Amino acid sequence: MDAPDSSEPNGYQPPPHQPLIWGVLGTVALLVVAGVSVRLSENPDAARAANVLQALPADAEATLMDEPEMDDEYDPCSDCHEEEPTNYTVREMDDEHDEMEFAHGTTWCLDCHDDEDRDALHLAGGKKVDFDNTSELCGQCHGSKIPDWKAGIHGKRTGHWRGEKEYRPCISCHNPHLPAFEKRKPKPPPKPPARNGAEVAAHEPAPAEEGGSHE
Amino acid sequence: MSSSRRDFFKVLSAGTVAAASAPTTALGFDLETFFQKHFRRLDEEELTAVLRRKEAAYEKQFGKKFTVKATSAFEDVVFGYGLDITRCIGCRECVHACVAENNQSQDPEIQWIRVLEFERESAIRGIDLEKGNPYYNPEQVPQKDKFYLPIACMQCEDSLCTSVCPTGATWRSDDGIVVIDYDWCIGCRYCMAACPYGARHFNWKEPSIPEDRLNTDVHLLGNAPRKKGVVEKCHWCLHRTREGRYPACLEACPVGARKFGNLLDPESEIRQIMATKRTFVLKSELGTNPKFFYFLGGAER
Ligand code: HEC
Ligand code: HEC
Ligand code: HEC
Ligand code: HEC
Repeated sequence: MDAPDSSEPNGYQPPPHQPLIWGVLGTVALLVVAGVSVRLSENPDAARAANVLQALPADAEATLMDEPEMDDEYDPCSDCHEEEPTNYTVREMDDEHDEMEFAHGTTWCLDCHDDEDRDALHLAGGKKVDFDNTSELCGQCHGSKIPDWKAGIHGKRTGHWRGEKEYRPCISCHNPHLPAFEKRKPKPPPKPPARNGAEVAAHEPAPAEEGGSHE
Repeated sequence: MSSSRRDFFKVLSAGTVAAASAPTTALGFDLETFFQKHFRRLDEEELTAVLRRKEAAYEKQFGKKFTVKATSAFEDVVFGYGLDITRCIGCRECVHACVAENNQSQDPEIQWIRVLEFERESAIRGIDLEKGNPYYNPEQVPQKDKFYLPIACMQCEDSLCTSVCPTGATWRSDDGIVVIDYDWCIGCRYCMAACPYGARHFNWKEPSIPEDRLNTDVHLLGNAPRKKGVVEKCHWCLHRTREGRYPACLEACPVGARKFGNLLDPESEIRQIMATKRTFVLKSELGTNPKFFYFLGGAER
């Protein structure tokens, strides 16, 4: 049986370490427009905190989810590539893999795929990386994302904020060949407020033109 | 409840107390609910009775077994929420996950989360909430020159809504979540007028929820089904979060823009964000002290 909520309406006392946070938040006020402002915090300790994060292991209760399954069609890669000599020329694929869209900055296939063992990926120094452990590969060029990712700031955790949680490998959100997050159709918009006393929130902006579509 | 409570006072003042023994309906006006003490004055035994009575009433109304909980706050926790506006793509997955999780009425439509679309340019000058468009509906999001700002209850530390409530039906809990005792809400809507974020919503009509979309795991002060005449709003899924789970909107977010945790724990995601990212709150000049922090996850500071 759950005990009743004993809190008092206005008797809340900020716990002792909170003023620290609010101090951080209270330092600057900027971007003031028409009575609505956005306050950005400025933290002198940011650099130091970032360093601490570099060293920080992922939350002990957080487990990394499995990587998405690779396309069967090409698995294992060595089926073809054991025979084929590696072609080091940067080019459009027109024989196989021609359906693959590729737009990943200035990178090229062999920055990530091992040239000798096609069933593996590799880092710049030659160290092989397994197809089930691709986040390490991403970290090589996007190092600053790794501490954020481990701390749960970049990427996504699900499960329990207190207790067991899972987090996702980079490629569950970013296709390694087309890493920009895929655009999608938004879920349906709210109905514009009816005039006859149906729900109209205090600060709801007036509906845009009929349909409200802003394309 | 609220309207029946009002009617009851009318009856009382007219001197016809006998009306009080009128037949009771499942969730409409019934005597036990009418005389139900304020949530915080219920002792454990009384609370249990209230929860079981609610379960029976909901079962009768919806034909489904409900679990009605009153899970209390963790003692060592003040919740904080973070939202990375450099990630949000405006897909509204959170809006609809929230509707389903929290038994929001489909007709009339009530949605606790609003996602506002802004011109990217305008952000440089500051965010003027009045300029946000909640009705955008392009073929694809995100649109190039837009950014998106989801808004719901900020669980303010200095909440204006609670201070104006004449019946004490809404208050801030120890873990920072502003809750509503729907049985004590009289529907005066002072709280709605007081809220600077438009986070509170009123049931002008009897809510309706498709049967297959009912969530039967409910907290008395949170997602328990409401009735006509009461105010409702986001409560950070306290039926989940007070059991250690993440809120439903967070889990529905495909880009991972939503973060949640304990402000008193320096290791928590939300505290890590405060230590390493630029964060801001909406309408800080009002001194409401929101516990909902927007942050810029993409930008290194
Ligand atoms: C059905 C045979 C086949 C399979 C299976 C296959 N490839 Fe290929 N791959 C080719 C061919 C043929 C080319 C050359 C295409 C061209 O030049 O147009 C190629 C080219 C490549 C290249 C460009 C570098 C080079 O050596 O030409 C990479 C990288 C590559 N494949 C990766 C893979 C990976 C990773 C897998 C497994 C997931 C895989 N391939 C599976 C046939 C195959
Ligand atoms: C940034 C690193 C990176 C680059 C550059 C890259 N790949 Fe990949 N590739 C990967 C990773 C990681 C996977 C594994 C995906 C998975 O497990 O789902 C993969 C998977 C594949 C596969 C398996 C099928 C699939 O699409 O998942 C093929 C084929 C392939 N790559 C070919 C290529 C070719 C050809 C190029 C050059 C045009 C290339 N890759 C460039 C990282 C890269
Ligand atoms: C060899 C270096 C290298 C590796 C390995 C690498 N990337 Fe990249 N990535 C780049 C470069 C270069 C860019 C372009 C940067 C820019 O435009 O500023 C980029 C851009 C991106 C972007 C932004 C794309 C956009 O269009 O907005 C994402 C997301 C990304 N990479 C994810 C990944 C992921 C996930 C992996 C692991 C599978 C990975 N990267 C591995 C070099 C790399
Ligand atoms: C839950 C989904 C998710 C996961 C997991 C994830 N990202 Fe991202 N990432 C995003 C989104 C959304 C963006 C916004 C950019 C966009 O719209 O393409 C982004 C942006 C990026 C960018 C572009 C620069 C920036 O900050 O906007 C890079 C680089 C990147 N991610 C790398 C990674 C790496 C490396 C990992 C794994 C360590 C990872 N991401 C894991 C969702 C994710």
